[in-house]
Amino acid sequence: MDSLITAASQALTAGDPLGALKRVALREDAPALALRGIAMAQLEDFPRARDLLRRAAKAFGTGEPVARARCAVAEAEIALVSRDLVRTSGALETARLTLASLGDEMNAAHAGYLLARWHLLTGKLDDAAALVAETDRTALPPASRVGLALVAAGIAMRRVRAADVRDALGQARRTANSAGIPALLAEVGHAEQAFAAPAARIITGGTNRLAGLEEVEALIASDMLLVDTCRDAIRSGRHKVRLAGRPVLFALARALAEAWPDEVTREQLLACAFGAKHADESHRARLRVEIGRLRRKLSAMANLKATKAGFVLETHTHSGVAVLAPPAEERHGTLLALLADGEAWSSSALALALGVSARTTQRALEELSSEGKVESFGRGRACRWVARTIPGFPTCLLLPALSPRG
Amino acid sequence: MKRSKAEITREYGPFPGTDGVAGVSFDGARIWVATGNKLNAVDPESGETLRSIEVAAHAGTAFDGKHLFQIAEAVIHKIDPETGAILATIPAPAKGGDSGMAWAEGSLWVGEHRGAKIHQIDPETGAILRTIASDRFVTGVTWVEGELWHGTWQEDKSDLRRIDPSTGEVLECLEMPDGKGVSGLESDGGERFFCGGGTSQTVRAIRRPRDSG
Repeated sequence: MDSLITAASQALTAGDPLGALKRVALREDAPALALRGIAMAQLEDFPRARDLLRRAAKAFGTGEPVARARCAVAEAEIALVSRDLVRTSGALETARLTLASLGDEMNAAHAGYLLARWHLLTGKLDDAAALVAETDRTALPPASRVGLALVAAGIAMRRVRAADVRDALGQARRTANSAGIPALLAEVGHAEQAFAAPAARIITGGTNRLAGLEEVEALIASDMLLVDTCRDAIRSGRHKVRLAGRPVLFALARALAEAWPDEVTREQLLACAFGAKHADESHRARLRVEIGRLRRKLSAMANLKATKAGFVLETHTHSGVAVLAPPAEERHGTLLALLADGEAWSSSALALALGVSARTTQRALEELSSEGKVESFGRGRACRWVARTIPGFPTCLLLPALSPRG
Repeated sequence: MKRSKAEITREYGPFPGTDGVAGVSFDGARIWVATGNKLNAVDPESGETLRSIEVAAHAGTAFDGKHLFQIAEAVIHKIDPETGAILATIPAPAKGGDSGMAWAEGSLWVGEHRGAKIHQIDPETGAILRTIASDRFVTGVTWVEGELWHGTWQEDKSDLRRIDPSTGEVLECLEMPDGKGVSGLESDGGERFFCGGGTSQTVRAIRRPRDSG
């Protein structure tokens, strides 16, 4: 490194991005562009930061692949913190492999952590878990080690494995305490609160109560016939039927499970599955078809017995029936759950994470916005959405070390 | 060109509480180590830090027999090693793109990092007297027994090379082991080079091949 780059990085390390910029503001060489990008990121001017890092990567060129890959990792981290997940994660994966093959283990591991987080956010749990397993924790600086542990906790939460969540959060807490970085401690605190909060409501035998992740896990592991509305699935012991994309079948199953062991009348079933107020003969015919479909789907777990007035669920085992529902069932609950992390999301990133179309997401956001539950800032492609209850947009940029080690 | 592996004979440090080693010099008795915001005087035998001067020290360090010269941001400070007082300031030739520095024959020799050049400058005015081109990023400069040596560090590969001061031709090259970079170079006038070790916060002693020349 040269004299001014050293002085500027020293200022950055000391938390003085303006001091860093002052020293290299007029320079256009690759290391200066990279430092200016990092300083801009710390000042939360993300679009300019990404532009500078992109120019730095270009200026480093093919002759300096390690430095170029470090810029790509920093750019990806900024995209992640600003929730701009629209671009593919391909550039980050390429940079990770470059760094690993050229011996920069620390930044390769940091890229692995970022990629795992990216996959977790876009719901690719298997890919995220594979990266957590593959990433060398010991090569990471403490801050990104906390991040990796939080990713592991997030994966375990989505997979409903309470013991794994507890392990990962414990690890995150210990590392964050010894690193003593306030932003990280806050992030660990949020994750701990999310774990302590109710994970679902359990509706069974006429009761309806909130339950923690541990209880939900026990319920899933039991032989109970479980209509899981959080995961659009019906399960009982080792049997599982996914009904994603079959809303009518799912609504019927849920109505029958909530009433169990009592019957549900045809009128009630028609009302909840088709929204029909007056049942005519064509509705009845359609109900017969749908019940027949559901009966085939559930044949390994339960029987749908016709009664005089309607239908009743009969399990093959004697372990009971329950419905698992989100803690708060309101319209667009999953969308609000994503925004509840306090970050600013683009509508296309939300659509990607929810697995629905951009139009559907946009409509939902506008509806929630008119109810005062979410708000947006920025225009056009730069437009971002946040939950109204969250003050400000916390960011926790860790950023790769740009200077060579030795 | 002769090419061989650099032989590390000793490692000083790490000097904690710093971002790394930015420059190295030797005053005949003590190694001077520039660590960003301090110049540390290190005993070459015990490895102990004897004293520190609080002064901006972002790149190369040199010693003219009486004073220390230290690159800070885009200038070179002339420093009294006993009091730490800054006696004079001249512009650095690469305007902040400077890296290593040595004193020889009444001139300062300053490496321009990414420009891959070594400038000979007037220590009174900073005027550039002449410029030698290299083909690698220059990270340290030293003169020993009429030989001009400079350190390089590019893409995590690093070496020490002796060049012909008139043509810039590389005459000899000592390759550093993988992952060990040179950020600052000084000879002790005899068998040893002292090399700054960048963010490893160390100074490494390297054996100088005696049959060179």
